[in-house]
Amino acid sequence: MSDRNGVDRIKVTIPAQPAYLRVVRLIAAGLASRLGFTLDEIEDLKIAVDELAAYLTGAQGRDGELEITFAVHENRIDIQGVGRLAPGQRARTRLTEVSKMILGTVVDRASLAQPDGHPMFELSKARRR
Amino acid sequence: MNERGTLTKEEVRDVFRLYHEAETEQERLRYREQLVDQYIGLVEFLARRFRNRGEPLEDLVQVGTIGLLKAIERFDLERKVEFSTYATPTIVGELKRHFRDKGWAVRVPRRLQELHLELTKVVNQLGQELGRSPTVPEIAEASGISEEEVLEGLEIAQAYNFTSLDAPIDASDSESTSFAEQLGVEDEHLDNLEYRASLAPEMAKLPERERRILYLRFFKAMTQSEIAERLGISQMHVSRLLNRTLNNLRDALQEED
Repeated sequence: MSDRNGVDRIKVTIPAQPAYLRVVRLIAAGLASRLGFTLDEIEDLKIAVDELAAYLTGAQGRDGELEITFAVHENRIDIQGVGRLAPGQRARTRLTEVSKMILGTVVDRASLAQPDGHPMFELSKARRR
Repeated sequence: MNERGTLTKEEVRDVFRLYHEAETEQERLRYREQLVDQYIGLVEFLARRFRNRGEPLEDLVQVGTIGLLKAIERFDLERKVEFSTYATPTIVGELKRHFRDKGWAVRVPRRLQELHLELTKVVNQLGQELGRSPTVPEIAEASGISEEEVLEGLEIAQAYNFTSLDAPIDASDSESTSFAEQLGVEDEHLDNLEYRASLAPEMAKLPERERRILYLRFFKAMTQSEIAERLGISQMHVSRLLNRTLNNLRDALQEED
């Protein structure tokens, strides 16, 4: 759907399993491509998605779902991921130094938090050209 | 790296001999168990290459162990090859069959292999012509492949990151020997303080080339295309190595939890 500011939103819910992150990467790449991102920028975006989503799914996957929202701006894409994890499934919600460095290189903004009891990441990347 | 076992080569041969000459089933199983212990590290190493395909690693290790048992059964001491060399294709074959039987497309379909090959070529050409990384529409136009297929092709690198087990998908995969020479110049930077502080423990375990790519990308802020040019390999190849390395780092991180 599209809001008054011309921002298109795409939402997808996946099981909190690493195997399904491929779907998220493909959507991110498809949307970035529509905005005219270069291949390098698309690969960077996909790295950021993997880096952040890995906190929510863990290496082995977790019980529950991830709600991913893509917001497509005129020359920028924002991605938010919220983990709706089963009770007892805990995700780490502080970025490691390594992750901060990786994310700082590949996207313009990235964060990980737990605002209302659910782990959540946000990232943003704009087209350079 | 491949063998966790503690037996020497000679001892392994002895155990194999005892295994083949064992007179009772009980004895045979005992020697077989020794051999499995010796080579379970190899199975784990190979199984790890198939992780993130929606299957728990323990299950993959079990599947791989079946391959190991088959290899132990068939191995002939007269052969002049190391057992690990002999067993690797059998173990990998067992893992691939497992995914195939389950309907998971771990085996790369021919069409996707060709797509990947074509994309590697076009991306390199366009990169040189344009002097920058190409966009997806540009790649689509130059190759006659639809944008959707281009996107799918780009994803393959990550979806099937076990390429090194198969025939090299691009010729540059085979040039790794001269790699150390190409890199020599910049090695002093690897002692960079900032670099050491943030990544040292994880990076120390990486192979030279992976470490180099990580360093150039995240400490020198070079793009994947720039790294590809610097190292004389394709951008797709850089992408594949980078993703594999980052996945491994992430796994290491999760194991710390």
